Amino acid sequence: MASSTTITQQKKPERSLSPWQIARRKFIRNKLAMISSFFIVLVTLMSLSAPFLAPVLSPLPDISKVNIGAMSIEPNGEHLLGTDKSGRDVLTRLFYGGRISLLVGFSATLIVITLGTAVGALAGFFGGFIDSILMRFTDFVLNFPFLVFVIVLNTILYGIVDGLWVLIMVIGALSWGGVARLVRSKVLAEKENEYILAALSIGCSPFKVITKHLLPNVVSTIIVQGTLIFATMIVIESALSYLGFGVPQATPSWGNMLSSANEPDVLQGKPWIWMPPAIIITLTILSINFIGEGLKDALNPKSLR
Amino acid sequence: MLKYSIRRLLGMIPMLILISIVVFSLAKLMPGDSLSGEIDPLNTDPQYIAEMREKLGYNDPLPVQYVNWISGFVQGEFGKSTRFQIPVFDLIMEKIPNTLLLGITALIITYIMAFLMGMYSGRRPYTLGDNAIAGFNYVMLAIPSFVAAVFAIYIFAFQLNWFPFAGSVDILAEQGSFEYYLSRMHHVLLPAIVLGAMSTASYTQFLRNDIIENSRKDFVRTARAKGTPMKKIYNVHILRNSIIPLVTFLGFDFAALIGGAIITETIFTYPGIGQLFLESVTSRDYPTLMALTMLLSFLTLFGNLLADILYGVVDPRIRLD
Repeated sequence: MASSTTITQQKKPERSLSPWQIARRKFIRNKLAMISSFFIVLVTLMSLSAPFLAPVLSPLPDISKVNIGAMSIEPNGEHLLGTDKSGRDVLTRLFYGGRISLLVGFSATLIVITLGTAVGALAGFFGGFIDSILMRFTDFVLNFPFLVFVIVLNTILYGIVDGLWVLIMVIGALSWGGVARLVRSKVLAEKENEYILAALSIGCSPFKVITKHLLPNVVSTIIVQGTLIFATMIVIESALSYLGFGVPQATPSWGNMLSSANEPDVLQGKPWIWMPPAIIITLTILSINFIGEGLKDALNPKSLR
Repeated sequence: MLKYSIRRLLGMIPMLILISIVVFSLAKLMPGDSLSGEIDPLNTDPQYIAEMREKLGYNDPLPVQYVNWISGFVQGEFGKSTRFQIPVFDLIMEKIPNTLLLGITALIITYIMAFLMGMYSGRRPYTLGDNAIAGFNYVMLAIPSFVAAVFAIYIFAFQLNWFPFAGSVDILAEQGSFEYYLSRMHHVLLPAIVLGAMSTASYTQFLRNDIIENSRKDFVRTARAKGTPMKKIYNVHILRNSIIPLVTFLGFDFAALIGGAIITETIFTYPGIGQLFLESVTSRDYPTLMALTMLLSFLTLFGNLLADILYGVVDPRIRLD
């Protein structure tokens, strides 16, 4: 009996793990990153289900209606996190705010990654004239004082296009420089490999070489960078909204909710209005950063853990 | 080195021209007269506006307007603020000392904190203290500056009453007296700590890693073999080598402080360049806005250039030409 099992084990050689499987195992073993992932999933789910959750959790599920009878109530059994100065339920607004903050963060990250990867890959792959033109342009974008230009552009475009998408496009269009540089340097190193020469010599078009051969080898870097950029974008959105130049005031976002802390009496005497968004912004940013660090570790074949 | 610096300085010129063209186009896209501020926005008489437009050369072709504007700009003619009815140049000059004071105090705080933490971590790597410092720095890096600022005001200004929560000086203090300067320092301290703590993390980690790396080098072994006390090796031999690369951070800090100042000054209602910038947006004071945009872009560009050049000066192994 014992001998038969050893035979079957010998018959089935254990398959070695794929790089993605190794990365997944490493990531799951990273406690901090896993806790952070759960937190982010929780926040996302709560934000997505805001329209269904709000009527259950609060007697005032309407986020846009001003309730004169319920202004600035401290947290109690009815309003779990209290109400703000216009009598709107803080918890409900927190859920709805998450929708906007995460949407802006995610869409802006998509724009940044797409633009940055495209510019970086083209510059790195073709080199020469195209490279210097594209990199000059990247330097130019990187040399802008970011916040200054976002605010000025937002002021000009405001009212022409819907506020939310203006913000997403402006911050996306001004932040891709770093990604472009990173992808370019990775592509430069990667294209020296012989498989690229092989692919070119059998007649693959440059487009196919970039998308099928180069980018899959750069994708782990892009994923890690994308995670960290996602955190940055959420910070930028909330900072701009806090200053009053981001998402229109009527739409609740975490930054907009926090901007009530601009009024000294709210900041001093009504901490339940501004503390929840402040805490959730900080926790979200921290979690995303931990996930990014975890991914960096997991996707790095040199780190053995 | 000199050759390289000169080449980089010359390379900055096309960038400056490009940025000025972008700013000019933005100004032209804005409603009304956003460059000179000479046209009274309250006077809606079409004949008056037409006369003023003709007088100010707004009917000239765009390239001519651009050249006129930029040649005035280099000579310090920034136009007139529509809100205060005084030249923008004077307005900016009035606010610059406050921002400089804030920026320099923040830098000093960054350096002190980073030195203390970095030297401790570098000497005792992978200990509890090192991990605690790394954790603290990680959290400081992740917390958005405006959230940190709001919490700082709530805790230190309102709950503990240690610092004032707004302004740059006590109104009652007599200008020039000792109390006046004391009050200014007192007002600048809290925003400076918040602003300074933002960049502490990168300095600390850099110093820590550099000290660890240097402590394995041959000159340290020689010093130890000669019987030099460990304290002296760390505080003199290693530190002297590890400080130098930190200089390059100064250039990048320049750009970071500009962005940081806009947010911090606004939250602390500290009357500096950053607050002036945001107020000029909200009050539609376009000439001030455009002059500041130009100025801040120039400073960012200058900061990046400074970082590049210092990098080469400090580390002779890097020869970029």
